[in-house]
Amino acid sequence: MLRAQRKTGLVFFPAFDWAISPDHPEREERLLYTQDQVMEEGLLDIPGILEYRVRPATYEDIRRVHFCVPDEAAVTTESHLISAGGCLVAADAVLDGEVESAFALVRPPGHHAMRVVHGNRGFCNVNIEAVMIEYIRSRYGIRKVAIVDTDCHHGDGTQDIYWHDPDTLFISIHQDGRTLYPGSGFPDELGGPNAQGKTVNIPLPPQTGEEGFLYTLDELVLPLLEDFDPELVINSAGQDNHFNDPITNMNFSARGYATLNARLKPDIAVLEGGYAIQNALPYVNVGIIMAMAGMDTSFVKEPNYEKDYRPQSPEVTRHIEQLVTALKDLFLHEGFKKKPYEEGHILERKRDIFYDTDGIQERQNEKIRCCSRCAGTFAVSSTASTGQHIMGVHIPMEVCPECRKTGLNWFQEGRKGAFRHVYLQDREKDIYIVA
Amino acid sequence: MILGLDVGGTQTDTVLIDGDRILAETKIPTGKDLLLTLRNALESILTGVEPDQIERMAFSTTLATNAIVEDRLAPTGMIVSGGPGIDPACFSVGPSFHVVEGCLDHQGFEAVPLSKASVMEAAEKIRKAGIDTIGVTGKFSVRNPAHELQIVEWVKGLFSHVAMGHTVSGGLNFPRRIFTTYLNASLHELYKSFSDALTRILDEKKLNGPRYLLKPDGGTIDLLRSMGAPVRTAQSGPAASVMGALALDGCEGTTLVMDIGGTTTDMAVVLDGVPLLNPHGIKLGQYKTLIRSIITHSLGTGGDSVIRVDDEGKMTVGPRRNGPPVSCGGVVATPTDAMVALGLLDLGDRSRAESAMKDLGRVLCCETERAAERVLRRMAETIAQSARAFIHDINSQPVYTIHQVLNEEKIEPANVLVMGGPAPHLAPYVEKALGLPCRVPRYHHVANAVGAAVARVTSRVTLQADTERGSVIIPEVGEEHKIDRSFDMDQAIAMAREALCGRAMLIGARDNSLETSITEKQIFNMIRGYRMVGQNIRLKMSITPGLIPQWKRSEAAC
Repeated sequence: MLRAQRKTGLVFFPAFDWAISPDHPEREERLLYTQDQVMEEGLLDIPGILEYRVRPATYEDIRRVHFCVPDEAAVTTESHLISAGGCLVAADAVLDGEVESAFALVRPPGHHAMRVVHGNRGFCNVNIEAVMIEYIRSRYGIRKVAIVDTDCHHGDGTQDIYWHDPDTLFISIHQDGRTLYPGSGFPDELGGPNAQGKTVNIPLPPQTGEEGFLYTLDELVLPLLEDFDPELVINSAGQDNHFNDPITNMNFSARGYATLNARLKPDIAVLEGGYAIQNALPYVNVGIIMAMAGMDTSFVKEPNYEKDYRPQSPEVTRHIEQLVTALKDLFLHEGFKKKPYEEGHILERKRDIFYDTDGIQERQNEKIRCCSRCAGTFAVSSTASTGQHIMGVHIPMEVCPECRKTGLNWFQEGRKGAFRHVYLQDREKDIYIVA
Repeated sequence: MILGLDVGGTQTDTVLIDGDRILAETKIPTGKDLLLTLRNALESILTGVEPDQIERMAFSTTLATNAIVEDRLAPTGMIVSGGPGIDPACFSVGPSFHVVEGCLDHQGFEAVPLSKASVMEAAEKIRKAGIDTIGVTGKFSVRNPAHELQIVEWVKGLFSHVAMGHTVSGGLNFPRRIFTTYLNASLHELYKSFSDALTRILDEKKLNGPRYLLKPDGGTIDLLRSMGAPVRTAQSGPAASVMGALALDGCEGTTLVMDIGGTTTDMAVVLDGVPLLNPHGIKLGQYKTLIRSIITHSLGTGGDSVIRVDDEGKMTVGPRRNGPPVSCGGVVATPTDAMVALGLLDLGDRSRAESAMKDLGRVLCCETERAAERVLRRMAETIAQSARAFIHDINSQPVYTIHQVLNEEKIEPANVLVMGGPAPHLAPYVEKALGLPCRVPRYHHVANAVGAAVARVTSRVTLQADTERGSVIIPEVGEEHKIDRSFDMDQAIAMAREALCGRAMLIGARDNSLETSITEKQIFNMIRGYRMVGQNIRLKMSITPGLIPQWKRSEAAC
């Protein structure tokens, strides 16, 4: 009889009553045909595949990750909380040992949401993976986590949140930022001073096919994971690299996604983007679920595969080989060479961030304490075109006394400043203070 | 008068009902020969009754269930068209299972044309194997039955019976559709001879009123019409019990219905007079089907369960049975012995039961009477624990809209209805273990037969309209129409209601019991690029299980 080789949890939340706007790609209809295909396959009847009911995440869960401006209620809706909550249910299923792996097939997505949230960027308000990971860290005491973001768009929100975290390896495989939103994710984006080499960007050229993705996975991603040796592997499973996707230019397939998943074996996969809702998502999602469950996926194929799928060109292959070789040299061969920073030095950076969905302009000033003993405290001040002017201070888990002192000082100073709101995100104590 | 008959595993119960009164009831042992049992049961209750006084009769039988469980299914060929996903060969139901070329997508568009050559080749192989009955099932055939219909057209005349997948249920689930079609096809011959024989018996007894069979969803179907899909009559016993509870008690509010038998305790939930239904379908033997059923939960603890005490003095009741109670000549102490020893029940030799409890008391270091009480308490606790898990499972069903997540409607039973042989004696213990008021309806010992007798006809339809494809389909009734972009929800509801009522009348409903309800209603704008190309309407409408208007429960019945 058909059964899952690996016990797999599925959290399905299509939010059939929520859309950004009626004709937006992120609308009610998005997972309708995926649901049809999953139901028609009878996947939920297969012994070893378990479906879980979602629950909403709480503001407390959001506050482990974000500085929501002015507060959580203003920038999230029920759908964001439920989508994030779906990931928490998936995490519980895996970490409580009920299943070996789980897939949160939820919407809306989250990987463009950064630490500071003024509104919606790239269809995302709340970074659902990050909310899940911080929940896992607080509740299950897990430390080292790797995120492999296979969405076609650079996971700039997740990168931002984990930029300074040496315990999180963030790998993003995406269509080259020179040709697609959000226009970032280049190989020289490597992580902050205390987490150098823990951000890995792999921008693939347009028209990358099955061959290129799987080559990148085998040659670069899997060795990076082996090197990092995480306790958990999370897949930000965007599905917009598909050759049928209307808003990207890649050439990946359902079977390719299934193979990628079977090799990557993520502990938890979380749906991100993917907007070929009729002719890609149903097959990609079925492929991912079956691959996670260790089932044979050779029959998972888009009806138009023979007609429309083209193997990648030799130029694309050459380009990818050169990129992968260069990245292997950078990260793997003799270990990543970190730039030295003086202990206790305060490093600053300035950034402009655009919220495409909500049309908000944000200017950030960030300072971090360079530290060899912990992830380092950092503070970010942010001014947005909405008129908001805030500061947020982050104190990491397992913080050193110096960094804690510095962080608390920044918070006290901030309270005296001209900010409308000052936030303290103390991960060590798992508290969040708004002043 | 109405006649109700329930064939149980060990006993066959029959009742005769007039208005609100149960006029007569009989119990006979269930024999090996089902038809003979039915004949004997009828004769036992009809003495002195004029057959033309029987205005309606309904039967809950075990024919289909036993045929499936005992694997007495006729050799059947299957012609299946698949598509992307799981290899359809994984759902093979026997050597004559053939996957043919052809594929429809989830919207019902043809992705790969059906290959006549491969269909004919499959048909030829099935015929060569000497098989005369086939089932035809296509993936997504409920979105577009064209391929199934085409296969049937091509093989017409080659087989004596062909069962199709899309007419059984509008629900999506290809493996279940395959299994359900297979069971319908393979039961056909056996079922036909049964229904012919039953018809002859009833004719001979001059019982000429409408004849019904009970279904696992607690509804009835006309005997002759049930031939269209015999698997619809399988596993009706638990439904008979729930409908009996509803008839005898009314089940206001949220009621947990519990039928405590010799081997098992079966549970179901009734919400304001309507039993909760399983959204997917019932499992019959090894086959998960698309046949709708009442959600029931079975626990291997009953009056004749084995009592065990472990080294630490912890007592368990069930989940095994090992022969009859000690009072009836058995060797292992059971809860029935506890009841006999306590003088609650008069069955067999009381002194034997007392001695069994005395032995148990020695192990538990207590007096005979206390030991017997502890058995009943433990049994009630086991049942209560299992009931809580059952309710938890029901409340853990996934939901897919924000509205459902935020407006959580949790099932919380407010009262319990206990039925079955040991019911009156165990109810006080169950009441304590669950912390909920327990009632035992009068006539609970023949509740199944009452339930069969007064259950109304149920039916359901699934409508799917896709204005981009320009089609609306109601697979259960084989209806498909062309529609234009203006087709809307109001039209969909009107069309579904007409189809549902038409179908219900066809299978035996009287027009005074056509209460329809919408069980699912969704509408989606279909957008391609940034342009709306159509609307996708999904509607499920059903006549839920309920009682015929002739049945008026009186106070005397409770």
